[in-house]
Order: sequence, then C-alpha cells, then structure tokens
Amino acid sequence: MKMIRAFIRPEKEQEVVLALEGSGFPSLTKMPVFGRGKQKGLQVGPVHYDELPKTLIMMVVDDEDAAKVIGIINDKARTGFIGDGKIFTSPVDGVYTVRTGEAVL
Amino acid sequence: MKEITAIIRRDKLPDTKKVLDELGYPSVSIQSVDGRGKQKGAVCDNDLDPELPDNYCMSVKLKPTPSTYALEHTLPKVALFVPKRMLTMVVPDDVVSKIVKSIIKVNQTGKTGDGKIFISPVESALRVRTGEIDGEAIS
Repeated sequence: MKMIRAFIRPEKEQEVVLALEGSGFPSLTKMPVFGRGKQKGLQVGPVHYDELPKTLIMMVVDDEDAAKVIGIINDKARTGFIGDGKIFTSPVDGVYTVRTGEAVL
Repeated sequence: MKEITAIIRRDKLPDTKKVLDELGYPSVSIQSVDGRGKQKGAVCDNDLDPELPDNYCMSVKLKPTPSTYALEHTLPKVALFVPKRMLTMVVPDDVVSKIVKSIIKVNQTGKTGDGKIFISPVESALRVRTGEIDGEAIS
C-alpha cells in the first residue's frame, strides 16, 4: 500500500476531494499547514510572505490505485502558477481498521 | 524502526495516551486533523462524539420534499469532514504489534468512525539534544 501526501492550494481542496469521491476514493485526512518552496515565499510589492497556507491531504491507497489518485489530484489542483503544491508517495507496511481490528483498508 | 500513524476519535485521546504510558512508549505527536472515510463524512452520532456541533448533520438530514430536493440539487455540493486526532510515533520493530493491539483495544466502539492505523518504515532517527542516532534516539 502507498501513502499519498499532497500539498495543495486551500481553495482547490473541495474540488479535489469531490473529484476523488467521484472516482471511488472518498477516504482521506486533511490538515492545514504552512510552507514555502523554491521561491522562498511570495513577494507582493514591499510585503514579503515567507510562509504560505496550504492544505495537506493524506490518503492511503492500494499500490495499483496510487497512479490514478495522483493523476486526479494533479489534474484538479493545477492552475499553472507558482504554488500549486507537491505530491509525495511513501510505502506503508500495514493498515488496521480500528472498528473491526482487522488488517484491511 | 516503524512509524505508527493512528487516526482516532477525539474523546478517546486521554485513554489512548494512558495505555501508551503503561506500555512504556509515551512519546507521541498529536495533531488535530479532519477526516472522512467510506461514509463520506456523514457521521451523525452525537453520542459517540459529544463535541460535534448540533447543526453538523443539517445538510445530510434534509427531508425529501420537492422543495428540499430542489435545494439539494441547486446548492453546490460540499465535502463533509469529521474532526479527528492523529497520533504519530516512531517505535522499534518488535513492539509494533503490541502497540497496535492496545490502540485498537482502547479505541474500538464497533461503530463507523473508529479510525485507521497505518504502519510505515522509517530509515533513521536522530535525537537533536545529544546527537544519538537510530535505536538510542527513540529509546
């Protein structure tokens, strides 16, 4: 299984979540985060914003679904401007559902 | 070393911390997150999560009269989320199953929304104060 962590624009969150739900991936966890990237924040006239608000979407999916999920997030979160975010994938060894205690997603 | 990420109910957090204390692995990072699962966030059980605001289920509980049907289908669709707590801890390989078992035991209510536990590999660890690495850093 794979854990997908996507840092996206907060205003794109609903669009991404509804698109994922429509494709059969309703389960996810989100949290607000602050970050900066290659451009070291944002310069608007004399004001410099060092850390910008983003939404971190975390979801664990089966190996064969990972590419599809990344495709959906990529498609919906893209605006083409700096600050669209990043998607990271990492391995997951085990998954447990607390309600049943079984090792299934 | 493994990283245990547990997403649990908010009101189970004190009990979970107590159990981790008793096991001898009290180190844990706690974060407030919003989550949704197979039920798409439509969890309307105030008994299970008393902190849930009263109007939380409003959009789900609309009675199917013609006017509410029209309302439901003209309003933009909103993705619902349930507030949860996320615990993250890095522990040695051999105690992972013991910790997972006790977290499940404490958090199990048998109703939807009990949460998930994820286990992922961690390559290295470093304690900033002393510079110890790997095994000593997390002991």
